[in-house]
Amino acid sequence: MKKEISEGRRKLEEELRNLVGNIFVPEAKVFGMVCGCVGFAVDLRGLQYDDVDVFREKISAIMEEISKSVGVEPEFVYARNLPGSEEVVTLTARELCERCKREFAESKAPPRPDIVVLKKKRWK
Amino acid sequence: MPRFIVPHPGHFPALKEIIEVKEAENLKEVEGVFMGVMGGSLEVMGSGRGVLHAPLIEEIREQTEYAHQHGIKMNIAMNSTCLGGHHLTFEGYKMFEWYFSELNKAGVDGVIVAEPYLVELLRDFPMKTTISVLSYVDAPQRAKFFEDLGADVITVDTNINRHFELLKGIVKAVNCDVRVIVNEGCLYRCPFRYFHYNLASHLSSLNQPRSPLFAPDYYFDKCINIRLRNPTQIIKSPWIRPEDIKEYEAIGITCFKLSGRTKAVNWIIECMRSYSHRTFKGNLLEILDCPQMLRDMFYIENEKLEGSIEQWKRCKKICNECGYCDKRTQEVLTYLK
Repeated sequence: MKKEISEGRRKLEEELRNLVGNIFVPEAKVFGMVCGCVGFAVDLRGLQYDDVDVFREKISAIMEEISKSVGVEPEFVYARNLPGSEEVVTLTARELCERCKREFAESKAPPRPDIVVLKKKRWK
Repeated sequence: MPRFIVPHPGHFPALKEIIEVKEAENLKEVEGVFMGVMGGSLEVMGSGRGVLHAPLIEEIREQTEYAHQHGIKMNIAMNSTCLGGHHLTFEGYKMFEWYFSELNKAGVDGVIVAEPYLVELLRDFPMKTTISVLSYVDAPQRAKFFEDLGADVITVDTNINRHFELLKGIVKAVNCDVRVIVNEGCLYRCPFRYFHYNLASHLSSLNQPRSPLFAPDYYFDKCINIRLRNPTQIIKSPWIRPEDIKEYEAIGITCFKLSGRTKAVNWIIECMRSYSHRTFKGNLLEILDCPQMLRDMFYIENEKLEGSIEQWKRCKKICNECGYCDKRTQEVLTYLK
Protein backbone atom coordinates (compact mmCIF):
# COMPACT_ATOMS: atom_id res chain seq x y z
CA MET A 1 0.00 0.00 0.00
CA LYS A 2 2.80 2.48 0.92
CA LYS A 3 4.38 1.93 -2.46
CA GLU A 4 1.08 2.39 -4.32
CA ILE A 5 0.30 5.65 -2.56
CA SER A 6 3.74 7.10 -3.29
CA GLU A 7 3.62 5.84 -6.85
CA GLY A 8 0.12 7.28 -7.25
CA ARG A 9 1.24 10.70 -6.06
CA ARG A 10 4.18 10.68 -8.44
CA LYS A 11 2.11 9.46 -11.36
CA LEU A 12 -0.64 12.03 -10.88
CA GLU A 13 1.87 14.86 -10.65
CA GLU A 14 3.61 13.66 -13.80
CA GLU A 15 0.39 13.24 -15.78
CA LEU A 16 -0.94 16.63 -14.71
CA ARG A 17 2.35 18.26 -15.66
CA ASN A 18 2.08 16.66 -19.10
CA LEU A 19 -1.48 17.87 -19.48
CA VAL A 20 -1.39 21.31 -17.89
CA GLY A 21 2.11 22.49 -16.96
CA ASN A 22 3.68 23.24 -13.62
CA ILE A 23 1.63 21.32 -11.09
CA PHE A 24 2.81 20.36 -7.61
CA VAL A 25 1.30 17.47 -5.64
CA PRO A 26 2.70 17.76 -2.10
CA GLU A 27 0.55 15.08 -0.50
CA ALA A 28 -1.44 11.96 -1.33
CA LYS A 29 -3.38 9.93 1.21
CA VAL A 30 -5.85 7.12 1.72
CA PHE A 31 -8.49 7.95 4.31
CA GLY A 32 -11.36 6.35 6.18
CA MET A 33 -14.21 8.40 7.61
CA VAL A 34 -16.41 7.76 10.60
CA CYS A 35 -19.51 7.59 8.39
CA GLY A 36 -18.08 4.65 6.45
CA CYS A 37 -16.66 6.40 3.40
CA VAL A 38 -13.13 5.56 2.31
CA GLY A 39 -11.12 7.43 -0.25
CA PHE A 40 -7.95 8.50 -1.93
CA ALA A 41 -7.14 12.22 -1.95
CA VAL A 42 -4.36 14.43 -3.20
CA ASP A 43 -3.58 18.00 -2.26
CA LEU A 44 -2.25 20.00 -5.13
CA ARG A 45 -1.14 23.43 -6.25
CA GLY A 46 -1.10 25.00 -9.69
CA LEU A 47 -4.29 23.44 -11.06
CA GLN A 48 -7.21 25.69 -11.98
CA TYR A 49 -10.89 25.12 -12.62
CA ASP A 50 -10.49 25.62 -16.39
CA ASP A 51 -7.84 22.88 -16.53
CA VAL A 52 -10.18 20.50 -14.76
CA ASP A 53 -13.01 21.45 -17.07
CA VAL A 54 -10.95 20.85 -20.22
CA PHE A 55 -9.27 17.64 -19.04
CA ARG A 56 -12.18 16.37 -16.97
CA GLU A 57 -12.23 12.84 -18.42
CA LYS A 58 -8.48 12.38 -18.40
CA ILE A 59 -8.08 13.62 -14.84
CA SER A 60 -10.94 11.43 -13.71
CA ALA A 61 -9.43 8.39 -15.45
CA ILE A 62 -6.05 8.92 -13.76
CA MET A 63 -7.69 9.33 -10.35
CA GLU A 64 -9.77 6.21 -10.91
CA GLU A 65 -6.72 4.16 -11.83
CA ILE A 66 -4.69 5.30 -8.81
CA SER A 67 -7.67 4.91 -6.51
CA LYS A 68 -8.15 1.29 -7.59
CA SER A 69 -4.44 0.63 -7.09
CA VAL A 70 -4.76 1.60 -3.41
CA GLY A 71 -7.91 -0.47 -2.94
CA VAL A 72 -10.53 2.27 -3.12
CA GLU A 73 -13.44 1.87 -5.54
CA PRO A 74 -13.74 5.30 -7.22
CA GLU A 75 -17.51 5.72 -7.09
CA PHE A 76 -17.43 9.48 -6.73
CA VAL A 77 -14.54 11.51 -8.09
CA TYR A 78 -14.37 15.22 -7.51
CA ALA A 79 -12.20 18.31 -7.40
CA ARG A 80 -12.51 20.92 -4.67
CA ASN A 81 -11.68 24.50 -5.39
CA LEU A 82 -10.68 27.22 -3.00
CA PRO A 83 -13.99 29.04 -2.37
CA GLY A 84 -14.31 32.17 -4.43
CA SER A 85 -11.29 31.41 -6.60
CA GLU A 86 -10.28 29.38 -9.64
CA GLU A 87 -7.68 27.39 -7.71
CA VAL A 88 -8.28 23.65 -7.39
CA VAL A 89 -6.70 22.41 -4.16
CA THR A 90 -7.81 18.78 -3.83
CA LEU A 91 -8.73 15.84 -6.03
CA THR A 92 -10.59 12.99 -4.32
CA ALA A 93 -11.87 9.56 -5.30
CA ARG A 94 -14.31 8.20 -2.76
CA GLU A 95 -16.17 4.99 -2.07
CA LEU A 96 -19.32 6.31 -0.45
CA CYS A 97 -21.26 5.14 2.57
CA GLU A 98 -25.06 4.93 2.26
CA ARG A 99 -25.67 8.35 3.82
CA CYS A 100 -23.09 10.14 1.69
CA LYS A 101 -24.53 8.50 -1.43
CA ARG A 102 -27.77 10.26 -0.53
CA GLU A 103 -26.32 13.58 0.56
CA PHE A 104 -23.37 13.88 -1.77
CA ALA A 105 -24.09 11.99 -4.93
CA GLU A 106 -27.83 11.87 -5.46
CA SER A 107 -28.44 15.55 -6.15
CA LYS A 108 -28.45 16.74 -9.73
CA ALA A 109 -26.53 19.81 -8.63
CA PRO A 110 -23.01 19.51 -7.30
CA PRO A 111 -23.45 18.99 -3.55
CA ARG A 112 -21.63 22.23 -2.74
CA PRO A 113 -20.43 25.13 -4.87
CA ASP A 114 -16.75 24.38 -4.19
CA ILE A 115 -17.06 20.83 -5.54
CA VAL A 116 -16.64 19.92 -9.21
CA VAL A 117 -17.98 16.43 -9.83
CA LEU A 118 -15.80 14.52 -12.30
CA LYS A 119 -17.43 11.12 -12.08
CA LYS A 120 -20.42 9.74 -10.31
CA LYS A 121 -21.48 6.11 -10.25
CA ARG A 122 -25.18 5.52 -10.87
CA TRP A 123 -26.61 3.49 -8.04
CA LYS A 124 -30.26 3.52 -8.98
CA MET B 1 -49.24 31.17 7.76
CA PRO B 2 -45.68 30.41 8.96
CA ARG B 3 -42.91 31.19 6.54
CA PHE B 4 -39.57 29.46 6.13
CA ILE B 5 -36.41 30.85 4.67
CA VAL B 6 -33.95 28.15 3.65
CA PRO B 7 -30.20 28.16 3.01
CA HIS B 8 -28.88 28.22 -0.53
CA PRO B 9 -25.25 27.09 -0.97
CA GLY B 10 -24.82 29.66 -3.75
CA HIS B 11 -24.46 27.76 -7.04
CA PHE B 12 -27.34 28.05 -9.50
CA PRO B 13 -27.98 24.29 -9.93
CA ALA B 14 -28.53 24.03 -6.16
CA LEU B 15 -31.15 26.77 -6.26
CA LYS B 16 -32.95 24.97 -9.08
CA GLU B 17 -32.95 21.72 -7.15
CA ILE B 18 -34.26 23.31 -3.94
CA ILE B 19 -37.07 25.00 -5.87
CA GLU B 20 -37.84 21.82 -7.81
CA VAL B 21 -38.39 19.90 -4.56
CA LYS B 22 -40.37 22.74 -2.98
CA GLU B 23 -42.73 22.77 -5.98
CA ALA B 24 -42.94 19.02 -6.50
CA GLU B 25 -43.79 18.42 -2.85
CA ASN B 26 -45.91 21.52 -2.48
CA LEU B 27 -43.95 22.96 0.43
CA LYS B 28 -45.98 26.14 0.47
CA GLU B 29 -44.46 27.62 3.60
CA VAL B 30 -41.02 27.96 1.99
CA GLU B 31 -40.98 31.66 1.20
CA GLY B 32 -37.40 32.37 0.27
CA VAL B 33 -33.74 31.42 0.20
CA PHE B 34 -30.62 33.16 1.41
CA MET B 35 -27.04 32.92 0.25
CA GLY B 36 -23.76 34.44 1.28
CA VAL B 37 -21.44 36.63 -0.71
CA MET B 38 -17.76 37.08 -0.06
CA GLY B 39 -14.56 38.87 -0.96
CA GLY B 40 -15.12 38.14 -4.64
CA SER B 41 -17.91 40.65 -4.50
CA LEU B 42 -16.61 43.00 -1.87
CA GLU B 43 -13.01 43.41 -0.86
CA VAL B 44 -13.62 43.86 2.82
CA MET B 45 -16.93 42.14 3.36
CA GLY B 46 -16.87 38.62 4.65
CA SER B 47 -19.73 36.72 6.17
CA GLY B 48 -20.62 35.35 9.56
CA ARG B 49 -20.25 31.84 8.23
CA GLY B 50 -17.96 30.25 5.70
CA VAL B 51 -18.90 31.07 2.13
CA LEU B 52 -18.20 28.56 -0.62
CA HIS B 53 -19.25 30.58 -3.63
CA ALA B 54 -18.68 34.16 -4.70
CA PRO B 55 -21.46 35.13 -7.09
CA LEU B 56 -20.95 38.33 -9.02
CA ILE B 57 -23.83 40.75 -9.47
CA GLU B 58 -24.79 39.31 -12.86
CA GLU B 59 -25.14 35.84 -11.40
CA ILE B 60 -27.11 37.18 -8.45
CA ARG B 61 -29.46 38.87 -10.94
CA GLU B 62 -29.96 35.65 -12.93
CA GLN B 63 -30.59 33.58 -9.83
CA THR B 64 -32.96 36.20 -8.41
CA GLU B 65 -34.96 36.29 -11.64
CA TYR B 66 -35.23 32.52 -11.59
CA ALA B 67 -36.30 32.52 -7.94
CA HIS B 68 -38.95 35.16 -8.66
CA GLN B 69 -40.32 33.16 -11.58
CA HIS B 70 -41.02 30.46 -9.02
CA GLY B 71 -42.40 32.75 -6.34
CA ILE B 72 -39.31 32.53 -4.14
CA LYS B 73 -37.64 35.53 -2.51
CA MET B 74 -33.90 36.02 -2.70
CA ASN B 75 -31.99 37.24 0.32
CA ILE B 76 -28.29 38.02 0.49
CA ALA B 77 -26.42 37.45 3.73
CA MET B 78 -23.78 40.09 4.43
CA ASN B 79 -23.60 39.46 8.14
CA SER B 80 -19.95 39.93 8.84
CA THR B 81 -19.43 40.92 12.46
CA CYS B 82 -16.20 42.78 11.79
CA LEU B 83 -15.44 45.06 8.87
CA GLY B 84 -12.23 46.40 10.36
CA GLY B 85 -13.68 49.91 10.40
CA HIS B 86 -13.55 50.08 6.62
CA HIS B 87 -17.28 50.71 6.32
CA LEU B 88 -16.82 53.95 8.25
CA THR B 89 -14.30 55.37 5.79
CA PHE B 90 -15.50 57.43 2.86
CA GLU B 91 -14.32 54.74 0.41
CA GLY B 92 -16.09 52.07 2.45
CA TYR B 93 -19.31 54.05 2.55
CA LYS B 94 -19.22 54.58 -1.22
CA MET B 95 -18.47 50.93 -1.82
CA PHE B 96 -21.31 49.60 0.34
CA GLU B 97 -23.72 52.12 -1.08
CA TRP B 98 -22.74 51.04 -4.60
CA TYR B 99 -23.03 47.36 -3.76
CA PHE B 100 -26.45 47.71 -2.14
CA SER B 101 -27.57 49.71 -5.16
CA GLU B 102 -26.39 46.91 -7.48
CA LEU B 103 -28.18 44.27 -5.38
CA ASN B 104 -31.31 46.36 -5.55
CA LYS B 105 -31.04 46.69 -9.32
CA ALA B 106 -30.55 42.92 -9.50
CA GLY B 107 -33.97 42.51 -7.92
CA VAL B 108 -32.79 41.11 -4.58
CA ASP B 109 -35.61 41.07 -2.02
CA GLY B 110 -33.69 41.38 1.19
CA VAL B 111 -30.27 41.82 2.74
CA ILE B 112 -29.22 40.24 6.03
CA VAL B 113 -26.76 42.36 8.00
CA ALA B 114 -25.31 42.40 11.51
CA GLU B 115 -23.58 45.80 11.52
CA PRO B 116 -25.87 48.66 12.72
CA TYR B 117 -24.32 51.17 10.30
CA LEU B 118 -25.26 48.97 7.35
CA VAL B 119 -28.81 48.75 8.73
CA GLU B 120 -29.05 52.52 8.49
CA LEU B 121 -27.47 52.58 5.06
CA LEU B 122 -30.07 50.10 3.80
CA ARG B 123 -32.86 52.54 4.64
CA ASP B 124 -32.14 54.18 1.30
CA PHE B 125 -33.18 51.03 -0.55
CA PRO B 126 -36.51 49.24 -0.89
CA MET B 127 -34.97 45.85 -0.10
CA LYS B 128 -36.01 44.35 3.22
CA THR B 129 -33.44 44.70 5.94
CA THR B 130 -33.06 41.62 8.09
CA ILE B 131 -31.09 41.81 11.30
CA SER B 132 -28.75 38.86 11.51
CA VAL B 133 -28.63 36.45 14.41
CA LEU B 134 -25.11 37.85 14.76
CA SER B 135 -26.50 41.16 16.01
CA TYR B 136 -27.30 39.15 19.15
CA VAL B 137 -30.78 40.56 19.72
CA ASP B 138 -31.66 39.00 23.05
CA ALA B 139 -34.02 41.51 24.66
CA PRO B 140 -36.98 43.75 23.75
CA GLN B 141 -34.82 46.83 24.26
CA ARG B 142 -32.25 45.72 21.71
CA ALA B 143 -34.95 44.65 19.28
CA LYS B 144 -36.49 48.11 19.52
CA PHE B 145 -33.11 49.73 18.83
CA PHE B 146 -32.75 47.76 15.64
CA GLU B 147 -36.31 48.40 14.57
CA ASP B 148 -35.72 52.11 15.01
CA LEU B 149 -32.55 51.82 12.94
CA GLY B 150 -34.58 50.39 10.07
CA ALA B 151 -35.06 46.66 10.56
CA ASP B 152 -37.90 44.93 8.71
CA VAL B 153 -37.11 41.53 10.19
CA ILE B 154 -35.18 40.71 13.35
CA THR B 155 -33.52 37.33 13.73
CA VAL B 156 -33.22 36.85 17.45
CA ASP B 157 -30.13 35.52 19.18
CA THR B 158 -30.49 31.73 19.25
CA ASN B 159 -29.47 31.85 22.93
CA ILE B 160 -33.02 32.96 23.75
CA ASN B 161 -34.79 30.37 21.60
CA ARG B 162 -36.01 28.69 24.78
CA HIS B 163 -36.63 31.90 26.78
CA PHE B 164 -40.30 32.25 25.97
CA GLU B 165 -40.93 35.28 28.17
CA LEU B 166 -38.21 37.20 26.36
CA LEU B 167 -39.47 36.07 22.97
CA LYS B 168 -42.99 37.17 23.85
CA GLY B 169 -41.59 40.49 25.05
CA ILE B 170 -39.74 41.05 21.79
CA VAL B 171 -42.79 40.19 19.68
CA LYS B 172 -44.77 42.71 21.72
CA ALA B 173 -42.09 45.42 21.62
CA VAL B 174 -41.68 45.65 17.85
CA ASN B 175 -43.90 45.88 14.82
CA CYS B 176 -41.45 44.22 12.45
CA ASP B 177 -41.23 40.46 11.90
CA VAL B 178 -39.40 38.39 14.48
CA ARG B 179 -37.56 35.35 13.15
CA VAL B 180 -35.98 32.37 14.91
CA ILE B 181 -33.35 30.00 13.58
CA VAL B 182 -34.56 26.48 14.16
CA ASN B 183 -31.70 24.09 13.53
CA GLU B 184 -28.58 25.78 14.79
CA GLY B 185 -26.91 23.52 17.31
CA CYS B 186 -24.42 25.96 18.84
CA LEU B 187 -23.53 25.75 22.53
CA TYR B 188 -25.99 27.55 24.78
CA ARG B 189 -24.31 30.79 25.95
CA CYS B 190 -21.20 29.78 24.04
CA PRO B 191 -18.11 31.62 25.31
CA PHE B 192 -16.54 31.49 21.84
CA ARG B 193 -19.48 32.82 19.85
CA TYR B 194 -18.42 36.44 19.32
CA PHE B 195 -14.82 35.53 18.66
CA HIS B 196 -15.64 32.64 16.34
CA TYR B 197 -17.88 34.75 14.14
CA ASN B 198 -15.32 37.56 14.07
CA LEU B 199 -12.78 35.03 12.86
CA ALA B 200 -15.19 33.67 10.24
CA SER B 201 -15.92 37.22 9.12
CA HIS B 202 -12.25 37.90 8.50
CA LEU B 203 -11.43 34.55 6.94
CA SER B 204 -14.29 34.81 4.46
CA SER B 205 -13.15 38.27 3.31
CA LEU B 206 -9.90 39.55 1.91
CA ASN B 207 -9.27 41.33 5.21
CA GLN B 208 -7.19 38.46 6.59
CA PRO B 209 -4.24 37.96 8.94
CA ARG B 210 -0.88 38.45 7.21
CA SER B 211 0.57 35.10 8.26
CA PRO B 212 -1.11 31.68 8.20
CA LEU B 213 -3.10 30.64 11.27
CA PHE B 214 -1.56 27.83 13.29
CA ALA B 215 -4.99 26.97 14.75
CA PRO B 216 -7.39 27.77 11.91
CA ASP B 217 -10.47 26.75 13.84
CA TYR B 218 -9.61 26.83 17.52
CA TYR B 219 -13.19 27.70 18.48
CA PHE B 220 -14.79 24.90 16.49
CA ASP B 221 -12.38 22.32 17.89
CA LYS B 222 -13.05 23.50 21.44
CA CYS B 223 -16.80 23.40 20.81
CA ILE B 224 -16.71 19.79 19.64
CA ASN B 225 -14.43 18.71 22.49
CA ILE B 226 -16.71 20.28 25.11
CA ARG B 227 -19.67 18.29 23.80
CA LEU B 228 -17.78 15.04 23.54
CA ARG B 229 -16.84 15.36 27.20
CA ASN B 230 -20.27 16.60 28.25
CA PRO B 231 -23.07 15.55 25.86
CA THR B 232 -25.67 17.37 27.97
CA GLN B 233 -24.42 20.49 26.19
CA ILE B 234 -25.96 19.09 23.00
CA ILE B 235 -29.38 18.86 24.66
CA LYS B 236 -29.02 22.35 26.14
CA SER B 237 -28.30 23.85 22.70
CA PRO B 238 -31.23 26.02 21.67
CA TRP B 239 -32.36 24.05 18.60
CA ILE B 240 -36.05 23.70 17.91
CA ARG B 241 -37.52 20.36 16.90
CA PRO B 242 -39.75 20.43 13.78
CA GLU B 243 -42.63 19.24 15.99
CA ASP B 244 -42.22 22.23 18.33
CA ILE B 245 -42.59 24.98 15.72
CA LYS B 246 -46.22 25.32 16.77
CA GLU B 247 -45.17 26.55 20.22
CA TYR B 248 -43.50 29.54 18.58
CA GLU B 249 -46.45 30.22 16.33
CA ALA B 250 -48.57 30.31 19.47
CA ILE B 251 -46.59 33.30 20.77
CA GLY B 252 -46.77 35.19 17.49
CA ILE B 253 -43.57 34.10 15.74
CA THR B 254 -44.27 33.10 12.16
CA CYS B 255 -40.86 33.52 10.50
CA PHE B 256 -38.47 30.61 10.72
CA LYS B 257 -35.01 30.22 9.29
CA LEU B 258 -33.07 27.04 8.60
CA SER B 259 -29.34 27.33 8.86
CA GLY B 260 -26.77 25.33 6.89
CA ARG B 261 -25.70 27.24 3.81
CA THR B 262 -22.29 25.52 3.80
CA LYS B 263 -23.84 22.07 3.70
CA ALA B 264 -24.61 19.75 0.77
CA VAL B 265 -27.75 20.60 -1.17
CA ASN B 266 -29.45 17.27 -0.43
CA TRP B 267 -28.92 17.79 3.30
CA ILE B 268 -30.56 21.20 3.01
CA ILE B 269 -33.48 19.70 1.11
CA GLU B 270 -33.95 17.02 3.78
CA CYS B 271 -34.06 19.71 6.50
CA MET B 272 -36.51 21.76 4.44
CA ARG B 273 -38.79 18.71 4.19
CA SER B 274 -38.60 17.88 7.89
CA TYR B 275 -39.41 21.39 9.07
CA SER B 276 -42.09 21.91 6.45
CA HIS B 277 -43.80 18.69 7.47
CA ARG B 278 -43.18 19.49 11.17
CA THR B 279 -41.93 15.99 11.79
CA PHE B 280 -38.69 14.10 11.86
CA LYS B 281 -37.97 10.53 12.80
CA GLY B 282 -34.50 9.46 13.81
CA ASN B 283 -31.31 11.06 15.05
CA LEU B 284 -32.01 14.74 15.65
CA LEU B 285 -28.35 15.51 14.98
CA GLU B 286 -29.01 14.65 11.32
CA ILE B 287 -30.88 17.92 10.85
CA LEU B 288 -28.83 20.23 13.06
CA ASP B 289 -26.36 22.54 11.40
CA CYS B 290 -23.35 23.47 13.47
CA PRO B 291 -22.07 20.31 15.13
CA GLN B 292 -22.75 18.07 12.14
CA MET B 293 -19.87 15.74 12.87
CA LEU B 294 -21.49 14.76 16.16
CA ARG B 295 -24.13 12.78 14.29
CA ASP B 296 -21.52 10.10 13.84
CA MET B 297 -20.77 9.99 17.55
CA PHE B 298 -24.20 10.31 19.21
CA TYR B 299 -27.78 9.33 18.50
CA ILE B 300 -30.53 11.56 19.86
CA GLU B 301 -33.91 9.95 19.38
CA ASN B 302 -36.10 12.83 18.32
CA GLU B 303 -39.37 11.12 19.22
CA LYS B 304 -38.24 10.75 22.84
CA LEU B 305 -37.88 14.52 23.14
CA GLU B 306 -41.61 14.98 22.74
CA GLY B 307 -42.86 17.22 25.54
CA SER B 308 -39.46 18.58 26.61
CA ILE B 309 -40.43 21.95 25.20
CA GLU B 310 -42.90 22.36 28.08
CA GLN B 311 -40.02 22.38 30.57
CA TRP B 312 -37.80 24.56 28.38
CA LYS B 313 -40.60 27.10 27.93
CA ARG B 314 -40.71 27.81 31.65
CA CYS B 315 -37.08 26.97 32.51
CA LYS B 316 -35.15 29.60 34.48
CA LYS B 317 -31.85 28.40 32.98
CA ILE B 318 -30.13 27.98 36.31
CA CYS B 319 -28.70 24.67 35.24
CA ASN B 320 -26.83 23.73 38.41
CA GLU B 321 -30.09 23.84 40.37
CA CYS B 322 -32.26 22.18 37.74
CA GLY B 323 -30.66 19.15 36.14
CA TYR B 324 -33.52 18.55 33.69
CA CYS B 325 -31.28 18.46 30.61
CA ASP B 326 -28.87 16.07 32.35
CA LYS B 327 -31.76 13.73 33.00
CA ARG B 328 -33.07 14.04 29.44
CA THR B 329 -29.60 13.32 28.09
CA GLN B 330 -29.58 10.00 29.92
CA GLU B 331 -32.95 9.14 28.42
CA VAL B 332 -32.59 10.23 24.80
CA LEU B 333 -28.91 10.16 23.90
CA THR B 334 -26.91 7.07 23.09
CA TYR B 335 -23.35 6.62 21.92
CA LEU B 336 -22.99 5.23 18.43
CA LYS B 337 -20.70 2.24 18.10
